[in-house]
Amino acid sequence: MPSTRTWLQAGGGTVVVALIAAAVVQAVNSTAMWVSNDPVGECGATSGGAVVAAQNVLSASTGLAPVDGSWDDGSTVATEAFQAYNGLPVSGCVDSGTWTTMRALLVSVCDPEFDCRGPDHRVRYAGPEGVREAYFAENDCDWGSYVLPGVAGSPVASHTIIALSRDAVTEIECEG
Amino acid sequence: MVTTIEEPRIRPEWLVGGALTLLAAIVIIVVTLVVGAGEPEPVVVPADADELTAGTCAADLRQPHWVPDDVRHAVAECPADISAGIGRTTAEDHLGTWITYMLDGPENAETFRGGPGSAWPDGDVRAGDYHPAASVVYVAYLDSAELADELSGDNVTVEWEALTESGLDVRVTRVDNNGYGPVRLEWTDDVGSYLLLGTVGRTPTGSAGATVPELIRMADSVAAEDE
Repeated sequence: MPSTRTWLQAGGGTVVVALIAAAVVQAVNSTAMWVSNDPVGECGATSGGAVVAAQNVLSASTGLAPVDGSWDDGSTVATEAFQAYNGLPVSGCVDSGTWTTMRALLVSVCDPEFDCRGPDHRVRYAGPEGVREAYFAENDCDWGSYVLPGVAGSPVASHTIIALSRDAVTEIECEG
Repeated sequence: MVTTIEEPRIRPEWLVGGALTLLAAIVIIVVTLVVGAGEPEPVVVPADADELTAGTCAADLRQPHWVPDDVRHAVAECPADISAGIGRTTAEDHLGTWITYMLDGPENAETFRGGPGSAWPDGDVRAGDYHPAASVVYVAYLDSAELADELSGDNVTVEWEALTESGLDVRVTRVDNNGYGPVRLEWTDDVGSYLLLGTVGRTPTGSAGATVPELIRMADSVAAEDE
């Protein structure tokens, strides 16, 4: 008959293993978020946090504005230009191949082994009229879009982190 | 006795000769300026690519000593610049230092004319006629010994390449969209970890941006000549 101490040790161990497993699953999901996103645009969602993320990359890569989480004709044309330049099939739809291509453009502004808390990935393009850039946050909770002033349009507020995976435009606070 | 002193006279032919000389000089200067304006600026390729960041906060950074011939200038951004651009408190001492190398030439120039919309002809957009300027981004994370998480996806290939000059191994991540798309090179050494990002872009006339072998050579040149 196992003693109370044994039960407590077993229970504690189980809790620790569960916490580790949850952390691993969370990290995997966070990393895979970009390639597992549902399509955006004419072929999928036309509003919400995923649209904000796609528009944020397109704002840096093509000059699309505003980033407001609502898909429009400008977003479609920007996606087509992005796809053509990157060798993707030109569909105007942000599908898995386009999501993956966008993800590859995100560069950490922070030491890979350190959590800088807040916006920690950046897309940067230099044009004749100045630098266009977009930021994202990958903390322990989720990927989020961080839109700069001058690009953000209502209901997307600048200098806030917008959840990528949510249906609606929702601000999140990652604790880091 | 009366002495008549003739005042010096300006002879008309002197005036005519002087005016013609002045006119000829002006013509020569104007023609020289006009012809000179049409000639391309002499291309000054630095012997060592680190001269591109001379005088910036990245001057002493471990960085590429070789860049593709099309690179004419670079922009350095140090942690304080990046932190200010984010506009939100970040741990500045752990931010990387960025150098963006711009590629010259018509195929590498930005072609956007206004924002994306109906003014962009559909055929031109589909042909890759509307594209950003090509560049190579180099980021150095000093005191870091790790690489970013490996990317995954159906169109992603990840390979490790040995750098012949420096003896280091570099992780080459390609989003291979029919030969085009982003290319990431990431590696570490005894000082920190590094990233090079370029895009092989599809344009109506061929491709834009640095090639994969050029990116590998850039990476190899970071440590190879530092001694």
